[in-house]
Amino acid sequence: MSQGRDPLGGKIPVTVITGFLGSGKTTLISNLVKHPSMNRVAVVINEMGEIGIDHDLVSLSSENMTLLANGCICCSVRTDMQETLRELFAKRQVGDVFDFDRVIIETTGLADPAPILQTLVSDTLLEARYRLDGLITLVDAVNAHDQLLTQDEAQKQVALADRLLITKTDLSTQDLLDQLQLELKRINPNADCLNVLNGQANPADLMGLGLGSSRLNAQTFQFIQGIDLLAESPQGGSYLGATLPRPHSSIKTLSLRFQVPFTWESFSSALELLAKLRGPDLLRVKGILNVQGEPLVIQGVQHIFHNPVKLEHWPSEDLDTRLVFITRNIDVEMIEQLFKAVCFLSVKSS
Amino acid sequence: MATLNSPGARADQALSLNMKLLAHHELAGFGGLGEGISMQLDAKGRRILWLAHESAPKNFSGVDVSDPLNPKLIVQTDLPHMKLRSNSLDVVDNLLAVAYQTATVGLKPAGVDIFDVSVPESPKLLSHFDCSGPHSRGVHALWFVDGKTIHMSSGSGDFEPHNPLDDQFYRILDVSDPTQPVEKGRWWYPGTRVGDSAPQPKRLQGIFDTGFRVHNSNVFPSHPDKAYVGYIDGGAFVLDISKPDNIQVISHWNHSPPLNGFIHTVLPLFDRNLWIVSDECVQDGGLDWPKLVWVLDARDENNPLPLSTFPMPNPEAFKKRGGRFGAHNLHENLPGPCSFVSDTIIVGSFFNAGVRVFDTSNPFRVEEIAYYVPAAPALSPAGAIQLNDVFVDDRRIVYTIDRFTGGLYILEMTI
Repeated sequence: MSQGRDPLGGKIPVTVITGFLGSGKTTLISNLVKHPSMNRVAVVINEMGEIGIDHDLVSLSSENMTLLANGCICCSVRTDMQETLRELFAKRQVGDVFDFDRVIIETTGLADPAPILQTLVSDTLLEARYRLDGLITLVDAVNAHDQLLTQDEAQKQVALADRLLITKTDLSTQDLLDQLQLELKRINPNADCLNVLNGQANPADLMGLGLGSSRLNAQTFQFIQGIDLLAESPQGGSYLGATLPRPHSSIKTLSLRFQVPFTWESFSSALELLAKLRGPDLLRVKGILNVQGEPLVIQGVQHIFHNPVKLEHWPSEDLDTRLVFITRNIDVEMIEQLFKAVCFLSVKSS
Repeated sequence: MATLNSPGARADQALSLNMKLLAHHELAGFGGLGEGISMQLDAKGRRILWLAHESAPKNFSGVDVSDPLNPKLIVQTDLPHMKLRSNSLDVVDNLLAVAYQTATVGLKPAGVDIFDVSVPESPKLLSHFDCSGPHSRGVHALWFVDGKTIHMSSGSGDFEPHNPLDDQFYRILDVSDPTQPVEKGRWWYPGTRVGDSAPQPKRLQGIFDTGFRVHNSNVFPSHPDKAYVGYIDGGAFVLDISKPDNIQVISHWNHSPPLNGFIHTVLPLFDRNLWIVSDECVQDGGLDWPKLVWVLDARDENNPLPLSTFPMPNPEAFKKRGGRFGAHNLHENLPGPCSFVSDTIIVGSFFNAGVRVFDTSNPFRVEEIAYYVPAAPALSPAGAIQLNDVFVDDRRIVYTIDRFTGGLYILEMTI
């Protein structure tokens, strides 16, 4: 049997590191790039306008660094990040820069990470060459509580994360840390929390968080397990309810499970409808779908979705469709009703 | 100036894209390897990688690569003298066929050995097929995939070429009884043998005259009546071998002149009616550039049509890296139980440009999707890596070998 190309396997993994001002992003990255396993990483850093201190703080072992020195990464200057990533790949191809095997993007503290994640999917060239491996959000143990209460962007950084790092733990107390962890879990039950002191993180804890291959390797299993953990239902049935709703929070996580296979047309129609009506509030979507018996992984950020990836075969005997939504200001029952209706109609039409 | 300082031009730099080095084995200090890599699944379920050495004193080595992170050299054999090389080999089940080419004509042993490797640690010689003669250097390359037939580039005691560079032609051996190999067919480029009625072929000039002789001769069990032959300066041939005693030409294509000759491999992609044709670079420092891999549309066998060439890295940088730079061997979709088979993904060895992986899904615009260029191996006379051959197993593990000292590199391709 002829073997083909893995749709994901050849892409360069991108780790996006975000977190509010002063949460320790630069300290973390400065330490990361000193690790022996990180000697082939290209780091894209944005200096914050006139406060150009990051440049001085990061230890510039120059072959590990590509410094973008013109402004905030969010929104209006997003194109510069696109061009930097394009240029990096082009230079790598012709041997003008070293053969980096990962890109780390440090966002500015004020950035909404969603546009960056979307850019990696919606820019055709970037989509062909890179894949998001994970969004790491740093949370400052001292100031996070207030920031989460007052700053929507801080909430969003937490909600979108694949992994949360709590920094400055030495300046807090155990009680406060426990409270913070609970609070973070309420916003984003999907992301593990790790404590980090003085930026000393193990690179292995920050890498390999995304889907890296359509083949069933350890990383693929880990990715699917992440979905399964949220989709587990002690009661059974399709609706699992909003997980750990946060008091007064508009951000909720919804897990759905369907036993009847979808057709791609019916599923994508429902998702398109949802994205069209409430895209901005659909913070993150992950799932493994049963599309006429075949396993498809979908991922999306707001209204932008990655191309679905067909796994070479099912990772376990669980052939149910499992979907996880992190939403804002959406009545999650409506999503459930939408997909139930589509599932029902799909069965009737088949 | 930029290219001089670029990593491509710096032989001390390893380069990679979507490939990771899992292990490197220097083969006990005999890391100069030829063009024979083949994998055996032995009775214990081990994967034994058989490697032909490029030059004396070593003959062939067997490496247990069941765990690609931890390869183990289990056997290494010697040649009887220093004017001999065992450049090529293939294994089918427990039969290992090894080619022997002598440094000059008239020496022995020149031909093919067949070994029983049912106990890989102790190969046992079953037979020797003699191809020596006053005008023969023996066998340069062989193809043995069905357990019954060897197709090879060989001289013969009864073959006198007009030009000594044309000594190795296409021969078919019946080895259904591996203790008694018998020749059952042969074909040579008309006009190359003394006594031919055809005129002698027009030769390439100067250093580019590398011979009208066979390099690879591939016959796939799914299409047993066709031989795909790289005839070096003679071009690419497809031969009808349904009657081995009366072999006929089906297709012929050549890019030289105006290019610089040395067509090495013709790899058919049957389901897509394409041929992938590789050249071999044989000059250091880019003197015979361009040496490329070609995609041909073979729907009309009377008119093979070149569609594209594989993209190559910047020649201005790699010419300066040391040694040869350009195309050579391809992974040939071997039909054995351990071989990677793909109609779209092609893996090749490119001397100092390392091992490279291409997606040919669009035959008009082939895309490079992975590569690994090892840093210069210790003591390499070329001062740079010179990857000579490549084999890919069904786990997508890539095995590639250096021509001089580097030995075996085991890589994972994440594509």
